[in-house]
Amino acid sequence: MTSEKKPGKTARYGMTIDVDRCNGCGACMVACAVENNVPPAHEGATDRKGITWIRVFQVDNGEDYPNRRSAFVPVLCQQCGKDAPCVSVCPQQAVEVDPATGIVGQMPERCLGCRYCMVACPYHARYFNWWDPAWPAGMEKTLNPDVAPRMRGVVEKCNFCHGRWHAAKQLAAANGRAIEAVDYVPACVEACPTRAIQFGDLNRPESAPAQAAKNGASFRLLETIGTEPKIYYRSKKNWVRQISSAPKLGLGKESSRG
Amino acid sequence: MNTTRRDLFKFVGGSVVGALFTPAPWRLITDSALWSENWPGIPRPARGEIRTKFTNCALCPAGCAVRARLVGDQPVALMGVSGHPLSHGTLCPFGLTAHHLPYLPTRLKQGPAKEAAEAVSAAIAKCGPSEQAAVLDLRPGRTASWTYRRAMASVKHGLYLAPPSPLGGSAAFDLQEAKTVLSFGAPLLDGWGTPGNVIAARENFRLIQAEPLESRTASLADLWLPIRPGSEEALAQAIANVLANREPVAPFAALTGLTEQQITSVAEELAHNGPALVLDGGQTPAAMELNRQLGSLGRTIVARRETPVPESWKKAAPVTNLASVPDGSIRVLLIDESAVDGYLSWSTIARKLVRDNPLVVTFAWSRQGYGRYAQFVLPTAVYPEVFDDIPPAIDSVAAAFRIAAPLVAPPAGMVNPSEFIAGLAGLPAADALRQRADAIHKAGRGTLFTYAGAKSAALRDVKPDNFWKALNEGGCWLDAVDEKRRELPILPDTEAPGATESSDEDLPLVAITCETRAAAAPLSPLMSKLYQESNLRLAANHAVLNPVTARACGVAEGARAILQTRCGSAQIEISLDSGVPPGVVKVAAGAGMIDLCGASTPAKVVAA
Repeated sequence: MTSEKKPGKTARYGMTIDVDRCNGCGACMVACAVENNVPPAHEGATDRKGITWIRVFQVDNGEDYPNRRSAFVPVLCQQCGKDAPCVSVCPQQAVEVDPATGIVGQMPERCLGCRYCMVACPYHARYFNWWDPAWPAGMEKTLNPDVAPRMRGVVEKCNFCHGRWHAAKQLAAANGRAIEAVDYVPACVEACPTRAIQFGDLNRPESAPAQAAKNGASFRLLETIGTEPKIYYRSKKNWVRQISSAPKLGLGKESSRG
Repeated sequence: MNTTRRDLFKFVGGSVVGALFTPAPWRLITDSALWSENWPGIPRPARGEIRTKFTNCALCPAGCAVRARLVGDQPVALMGVSGHPLSHGTLCPFGLTAHHLPYLPTRLKQGPAKEAAEAVSAAIAKCGPSEQAAVLDLRPGRTASWTYRRAMASVKHGLYLAPPSPLGGSAAFDLQEAKTVLSFGAPLLDGWGTPGNVIAARENFRLIQAEPLESRTASLADLWLPIRPGSEEALAQAIANVLANREPVAPFAALTGLTEQQITSVAEELAHNGPALVLDGGQTPAAMELNRQLGSLGRTIVARRETPVPESWKKAAPVTNLASVPDGSIRVLLIDESAVDGYLSWSTIARKLVRDNPLVVTFAWSRQGYGRYAQFVLPTAVYPEVFDDIPPAIDSVAAAFRIAAPLVAPPAGMVNPSEFIAGLAGLPAADALRQRADAIHKAGRGTLFTYAGAKSAALRDVKPDNFWKALNEGGCWLDAVDEKRRELPILPDTEAPGATESSDEDLPLVAITCETRAAAAPLSPLMSKLYQESNLRLAANHAVLNPVTARACGVAEGARAILQTRCGSAQIEISLDSGVPPGVVKVAAGAGMIDLCGASTPAKVVAA
């Protein structure tokens, strides 16, 4: 595994998600699919076989009506900052951490579809292409030219819109400077109507995720397993914060995906 | 040295083993993998010059500003425009995927426009003295709406119909002014008004949401009142009684399922933390009466000025509320379904038609809506192909004029509803948008927002041609706010669509439709991320029951069942959730389900 080096000189991109602001509209999910050329569902796809790099789960406090209270939690690749399980299990070196950004990247060209990474990922944030990507006739004209569609039989996941990062880096280089944290945001961040999702460089103390890391109402998913996720969630509700240790996201995905 | 067969085999075997230690086979595998990613079955994104274009979203009256990313002339992504005075940079999931809509497999490609025009002319000629030819406009206030009104003023027995709206189309709800908002089931944080405007105002008001189900809005409200289905008016009456120090409160409280103390507390909060605003899905008289008691009329509910129109247009047919039309009186009905704000159940419309052979023509992108009941369905352009204006949203205090300028050209064979209807009256309709823009410019009020640097300029400083050019490039005209806010009259009680009928013993449950936003609008195939590949939104023909209710009905999780109401039945797939109140069936609102259930209706679920 390639570890992140020199945190003072490289970026360490992360996110903060304010659960108390998320209204579960799903704009992040469709904006992500548009940006990354994720195809519409195959006829046989279900909520267990679909591809949603970012997925908004409805969680609740476990009570029955009328004491039920719900919240919406967007879950994406948590961009593990330390010992990312998917990196260490991949037999093809198809998963790598970019030392310049800290982004855990997936290379579908190298992936042989063994799905070890899906078993290893504690966040169920990886998705397998059960079918070749297909769009309704004519709709393929709307594909983003910066991202190649993936074939059947490979795993894919959120990469913080790496295509956008490359474009921003090229633009910065054309302007004779290095890329900075404010030069790009992933599509989900741009699309979120309530501004519940914010993006930035954790190495910069003034960035939103860095501030969130210090906030008492912040939490990370499965923090105890030591993967150092770079996605910080925030909620003032105790029962929402409790999902950090034992996520109950409503679906038993293990049986089909893992 | 003799070369034997054995040597040959050793050489070949050695070569094969040796080759495995060279990069060649691995390179071959890599190249094969790369090649397989580009085989013909996998689409390749088109390349070309990357451009940016601005327009306004025409999917709903919010009319959010849109920044489109184009490859050549093809839009590949739509995003909001930060700094916009109305939409504040937001775009909902429906708007984000709207560039897919021209490619919907269910879209109508052609329709019998000539035959429909002949049939309409013939049917109008046959209209009896008490019969009428009507246009039902599901998004009033557009320039096309004025064309319909002008046409109907010229057509014999012509009538211009708009959906029921007790306050009329000029009422605006000012969330920026409100400190406390009581919402009777209005989806305030899930698509109501202009989403960006609501979110921008959200931190300034306390939200009390009263509805039976915990909707998205209820989950983010400061207080959710889980009332019994159909008890909204009782709650309004109870609060009104507390505000007026009238008795009784207890009987109404019992109907709602809330305690007297809860109701009193809400009433006191509305009275003492004002200005207050009471909202509901349909501006019902009970909610409006509460607004009157709280002094909201003229403060948080104001009359918005009309967007100027040319003087010559004012000899138009009046706006008639559909509910006020006598039953059985419409012989010819033209329904403009190309721009829909809310889907009315077909039974609301059908009862207004004459019994013997009425003629119904719809202008729609598919047959999924009223096309199921019409003799002629004429295909229309969809956003982002349309060239249409967007009337101000319900939360826009100032009049506004925005144009949805097309990002792609519509295919051949599409029918323009305003040209078709204007043609019946011999009116020209082609330049109506330009004429209205000139009338606005002539009035000289307000400001023009343009995207070059997100700047606003006084309209009087802009030349007419530049104004028109700016509108076509996604600009937005905003009227000056009328300082003398006029109080709105409360119009007489009219029959609301989909009103809850009295419960009967054979229909022991209450069906409540949710996700009404998706009822009539075209949806991108990518919305499968929300409806099929996740359970974030309830998919069509799915229903959610409390496990206790499901046991009583004899259905289980994942089972197929039949939902029966007074209007018919439909097959549904059952999910169980103990967060749904007992006795309630939560169903997703498609056009068919609204025809079946309206907003809420007595129902029964039986195993299929």
